[in-house]
Amino acid sequence: MARSASKAAAARRNGFLIAAASLLLLIWVFPLIWAVIVSLKSESEVLAYPPRVIFEPTFQNYSDALFGGVSILPSLVTSLIVSTSTTILTIIIAVPAAYAFARLRLRGKKWLGFYTLATQMVPPVGLVIPYFLILNKIGWLDTFQGMVTVYLTFSLPFAIWLLVSYMEDIPREMEEAAFLDKANRFQTLWHIILPQVRGGIAVTVIFIFLNAWNEFLFAVQLGGNTVRPVTVAMFNFVSVEQTLWAKLSAAALVAMLPMIIIGIAAQKQIVKGLTVGAVKGGGRL
Amino acid sequence: MTAKGHVSLHGIHKTFGTFEALKGIDLDIQPVEFFALLGPSGSGKTTTLRILAGLEAPDDGRIMIDGNDVTGTQPGERDVAMVFQNYALYPHMTLAANIGFPLKMDGVAKNKIPDLVRQAAARVKIDHLLHRRPGQLSGGQQQRCALARAIVRQPRLFLLDEPLSNLDAQLRLETRVELKKLQRSLDVTTVYVTHDQEEAMTIADRMAVFLDGDIVQVGTPDEVFNRPLSVHVAAFIGSPPMNLFAGQLEQGAVKVGDYEIKLPKSPDHAAGDVTVGVRPSHIRLSDHGLPARLYLSENLGESMLLNFLVDDQLVKVRLPEVRRFAENETTALSFEPEHIHLFDQKTGLRIGS
Repeated sequence: MARSASKAAAARRNGFLIAAASLLLLIWVFPLIWAVIVSLKSESEVLAYPPRVIFEPTFQNYSDALFGGVSILPSLVTSLIVSTSTTILTIIIAVPAAYAFARLRLRGKKWLGFYTLATQMVPPVGLVIPYFLILNKIGWLDTFQGMVTVYLTFSLPFAIWLLVSYMEDIPREMEEAAFLDKANRFQTLWHIILPQVRGGIAVTVIFIFLNAWNEFLFAVQLGGNTVRPVTVAMFNFVSVEQTLWAKLSAAALVAMLPMIIIGIAAQKQIVKGLTVGAVKGGGRL
Repeated sequence: MTAKGHVSLHGIHKTFGTFEALKGIDLDIQPVEFFALLGPSGSGKTTTLRILAGLEAPDDGRIMIDGNDVTGTQPGERDVAMVFQNYALYPHMTLAANIGFPLKMDGVAKNKIPDLVRQAAARVKIDHLLHRRPGQLSGGQQQRCALARAIVRQPRLFLLDEPLSNLDAQLRLETRVELKKLQRSLDVTTVYVTHDQEEAMTIADRMAVFLDGDIVQVGTPDEVFNRPLSVHVAAFIGSPPMNLFAGQLEQGAVKVGDYEIKLPKSPDHAAGDVTVGVRPSHIRLSDHGLPARLYLSENLGESMLLNFLVDDQLVKVRLPEVRRFAENETTALSFEPEHIHLFDQKTGLRIGS
């Protein structure tokens, strides 16, 4: 009796959760679905009122966005270069820095940690002009190295801060055991620490890559005409006279694709990052 | 060739912030000895072990291993192996990789590693588990893996930090025996930290008793148990520990309340207040002695532990046989002069031999 009652309660609870999740999902997915629909319509059909539900789908917008007169293809390559370079450099610098924060007894470590976090609190828009002036002075305006350097100033503190928490979770004894096993600090980092924070690194890579890929404000101000990532190139389809909604949607969906693929591919890694190391009293649980 | 693994510590001082963990200890550990560092938590025994390993640097003092001053050297340069309390196995590696790691770091030829790993694993009977990861093992198997990782490169010194404390009671007893056997067969100096005095008593050749950052006694288990040098050691060693009474030393006798015990020979100490210690197993129930009332009796199966109240003081008595007692039963407790330990009431130090 009691069991069936509790079963019914569980079913009700499940039903409620599913309904709530569906609603949230719908709210999130609606613009995406709308974009997909718009991208498959012709420009004239997009503006038809009332909007037509039944129409003949066309892939013309995709081919125009990718290979047409105002193709976003070069911008996709630019985005890829900028995002990948930012991510790689961030990881190369952030991993040893996070290790130092997590393990070494450094003077002023606490203040440095606070400073690292404080950089995340500055509103980016306040930095546009100083960055513009600095890049202009050293001749890095409209250059890849300029863009990547600017992105690094945001991604590094974030990555360090994220990785420190992963590294601090590894028991100190594990490292001490490695020292006694004649490993030096670098070998300990390489053989003992890094394999255990793989999940954390994967999560960091995704965040950094996503942020760099989606960044617009600095790209539009500091990239000029030479470095035009895909977020800026979207504006190819917006002009004073008209907005090419169908092509814009197609371009936006293409630009989103790598992110979606990475998200799906990394899902496993993220979960693994949270469950790796099931040793008693050790590892990241 | 002289045996390896002679350790001596000279005047080791260590503070953590304002806490004085070690107050200038001296210690000499002979080659091939199984040496226990025994003490309650916070007494400095683990700090001593970590200083020996090179994981902590002493504020003051010198560490010598086989005549070489190793005070400033890195852990990896000391040729010592350690088993941590939580084993500190590398969770992302198989057992084979875990055990082989020190060999790999030591630059042993790659083709020789598997054989050495298998031999070490076989010694602790886990050679059938080499392909597994630590997470797939029981606590006892993990502990053996940690041991195998320690013995695989034949160090001159083993450091064991409460290696049995994470095992269940039954397994702890078995592993204790095996550990001792293993140490005998390897002939390696072993320093063993424990807060469990029974463990130290059974396993160690000699031991050092730590209290509040000081070594209060060094000796064989027999010496420490039968001749505690201070009232603190007496109160710490033994399960249950020694009963301590306030008494008066007089000419040729010692008095506890109205109960007088004649001493075979007068100790070299002025008459006056002393602390009288008697082990629970050395107290007899008789018709003369300290009047006592039974407070609680505990049946231990083969023996009994009786808790008596003498005035308001709880006194433990171990009886070698089991019999029934009535609650609140009154009796008298007596003890033989040769079983009495006398301590100076002010300094707490042992009086006489």
